[in-house]
Amino acid sequence: MSSFQTPSPANRVRIVIATSVMLTFISYWRAAAIVLNDLASSAFYACGIAEQAVGKSAPWFIVGVMLFSFAVRAVYVESCSMFVRGGVYKVVKEALGGTLAKLSVSALMFDYILTGPISGVSAGQYIVGLINETFVTADVHGWIPRAVHSLFNGTPHFNVNLTSVVFALAVTIYYWWENTKGIHESSEKALRVMQITTVMVVILLGWSALTLYKSGYNPVPLPTPDNLHFSKESLGFLRYGFSDQSLTKLFGLFGILIAFGHSVLAMSGEESLAQVNRELAHPKLKNLKKAAIVIAIYSFVFTGLSALLSVMLIPDAVRVPVYKDNLISGLAMYMWGPLILRIVFRAFVVVVGFLILSGAVNTAIIGSNGVLNRVSEDGVLADWFRFPHRKYGTTYRIINLVVILQIVTILVSHGDVYVLGEAYAFGVIWSFTFNSLSMLVLRFKYKGVRGWKVPPNVTIAGMEVPIGLLSVFFVLLATALVNLATKSVATVAGVSFSVVFFVIFTVSEHANRKKYALSKQQMKDHFQLLQSETVEREPLGIRPGNVLVPVRDYNTLNHLRWVLEHTDTREQDVVVMTARVSQYGTAAYGLSAEQMFDDYEQTLFTRAVSVAESVGKKVSLLVVPARDAWSAIAQTAHSLESSTVAAGLSGKMTTAEQAFALGTAWESIPEPKEQFVLQIIRPEGIVDTFRIGPHTPTMKNEDVVLLHRLWLNVTREPGLGNIHHHDILTEALTRFARDYGARDRQDIVKELQRLGVPAGSGPLPVRRIADQIPTVQPEPGKSGQDDGQHNP
Amino acid sequence: MGVLMSFIIVTVVVRFLEGMFAVGVIGSCVVLVLSGIEDLKTLFGREDENHS
Repeated sequence: MSSFQTPSPANRVRIVIATSVMLTFISYWRAAAIVLNDLASSAFYACGIAEQAVGKSAPWFIVGVMLFSFAVRAVYVESCSMFVRGGVYKVVKEALGGTLAKLSVSALMFDYILTGPISGVSAGQYIVGLINETFVTADVHGWIPRAVHSLFNGTPHFNVNLTSVVFALAVTIYYWWENTKGIHESSEKALRVMQITTVMVVILLGWSALTLYKSGYNPVPLPTPDNLHFSKESLGFLRYGFSDQSLTKLFGLFGILIAFGHSVLAMSGEESLAQVNRELAHPKLKNLKKAAIVIAIYSFVFTGLSALLSVMLIPDAVRVPVYKDNLISGLAMYMWGPLILRIVFRAFVVVVGFLILSGAVNTAIIGSNGVLNRVSEDGVLADWFRFPHRKYGTTYRIINLVVILQIVTILVSHGDVYVLGEAYAFGVIWSFTFNSLSMLVLRFKYKGVRGWKVPPNVTIAGMEVPIGLLSVFFVLLATALVNLATKSVATVAGVSFSVVFFVIFTVSEHANRKKYALSKQQMKDHFQLLQSETVEREPLGIRPGNVLVPVRDYNTLNHLRWVLEHTDTREQDVVVMTARVSQYGTAAYGLSAEQMFDDYEQTLFTRAVSVAESVGKKVSLLVVPARDAWSAIAQTAHSLESSTVAAGLSGKMTTAEQAFALGTAWESIPEPKEQFVLQIIRPEGIVDTFRIGPHTPTMKNEDVVLLHRLWLNVTREPGLGNIHHHDILTEALTRFARDYGARDRQDIVKELQRLGVPAGSGPLPVRRIADQIPTVQPEPGKSGQDDGQHNP
Repeated sequence: MGVLMSFIIVTVVVRFLEGMFAVGVIGSCVVLVLSGIEDLKTLFGREDENHS
């Protein structure tokens, strides 16, 4: 900001802030898959934790929680119908103000921080459980060498908790690095994981049904107070005043409420629904409801039924002592059928568990990063945290903070899934409670039309009473309050964590207020923010055929200088754009123009303007919110009718990879659309040029020679004297398309794959094919328009 | 006296939470049924355009 003098208000630099995120919209199936990657992962550990806490009737409580999750889902659908950019922070802030919003975000952060460790440790438990069981089976068959036997003083065995800690640390560190680099999250990946999970669920349910028919089952005790057997840990602070039996005798329903509270983590992940809402395709509300139904039914079938089946099929003697932390593996081992098949299925369960649980570790980092980014943008966390990585442009300081907290959690837990699960429930229940309370308050605060309301609602004396919403809130609040008493570890850890985060947020906000006032004034002095719902040429005042220059790092603006030096801005406008990229976590929250254009963007555009001033040319400035930088660039170029996109060299991609990424993003833009040129300007000034969209390919000389020789030969055929070079190409391409679409597809693919290998190591290069065609000299006098070697 | 008072307070709090939970569960069952019917309509494409 200090690089130029304060201009008069009339001379302020105009910056257009697009407020619509450039999203690639997804179907409700994909949205459901993203949410289920989080929600369904709890099936792998929820029932084991609940049974340790409340006894053998735990599956009924899991089923109850999963049924209740249908009602919680309804609350989220209503909140998403009100706020497209929903999420706890936004909803609570609107309803209850900043203080409670900070508190609710603290609880949500606790939820996110715990999601990673519990998922990582649980995945480790499944893997180590399989390895140890394999050792036992191998030892029974005498397949373990004596040396290994003596090394372990018996059957080889890994310490389950310790190895799970190592595994969880490895997965967390892996995703820390991936997130630091800025991985591209795709709904495709989530869909694939859920497809594989569905295969496992279908086999699990089908085989369990066969096992029930063939081998019978253990009855699951009904969820009555008499059947509840609380452990000392599961009574929390109450254990100092009551024994489990006296408690259930004194307060029958209260025991059920305690048990319900111990099972509530089975529905963790509903918050993700609010986060994917923005990306849902039209009609949004209908698709949101469909996604919500799919999610609720799927998680009920998977989590609820697998919990019931685990108690029905796994004998009491081994269920908790051996399989408490990998219950679905235990279920696989007690199916009816040959041992080898059961082991194979167990291995499949472990693979699926690894995929979905390690995915949840990633989701936790992305979610935490998103939430902290959001509160940072709101001024309640120092901007220092949002400083982008020099090479990858990610908010690495927030990622580091989140991962350090997760690593500490993993180490402190010693790989104990029960402790992690108990603590995890704190964040889950309180973020749900804050959300439902806020929606309740909003019913009275904002009486306007909503897309959808949780039923039933009755009008008494002209006032609408939201009975459904109130009921859901009652259950959540009662459960959250009881959990405070019965989950001592969660209460101490959760309250301490939330208070620490709340204090950090409050102090940061106070410290930032002064700084923001100054920076806001500076921004008003230098920049004029113009808000625009969509990206269009008119607000920017630019002509078609402009040059679009994406910028991100204010230290690497060489490409902008190069463009300005090589462009006559009287003939062609230059638009400097930056994409404000947000992931699933942040896409949930809306940003005002001022938030979209904060300290970092100010510095970035100040430098960009300085570059333009030093070259003496004019630039237009644009900020677009986006889920993916490449989609944002492609869509902006399309909307602005740009003829060229001039980008700098990426720190992590080659120029060809950059072109491919932009080309892929261009492909997803609906027709009609125009092609454009991508220029990638290297720091040393070398420019690589690519055409984005369908275009005439650059033909190699040997291809032209081959074409010409074919043409010479063909024109010697009777009646083909007037054939042109392009006719040969048309015929060749028509034949290629026919063969590719029919029997020769695989051969063609193999041939192209071979041609794709580096020159010299591949099979017959084109040059050699050309050599096999005899050179035929044109007949004298045959010198039509196509008589020489040229590029058609 | 102190112990008795504590017991009374605990009993009142517990009964209050039980009541809240019971009422909430009954109401949530109604939510489940009503939204379930609506869900079926949504899935089978006969959704009413006028939402509440």
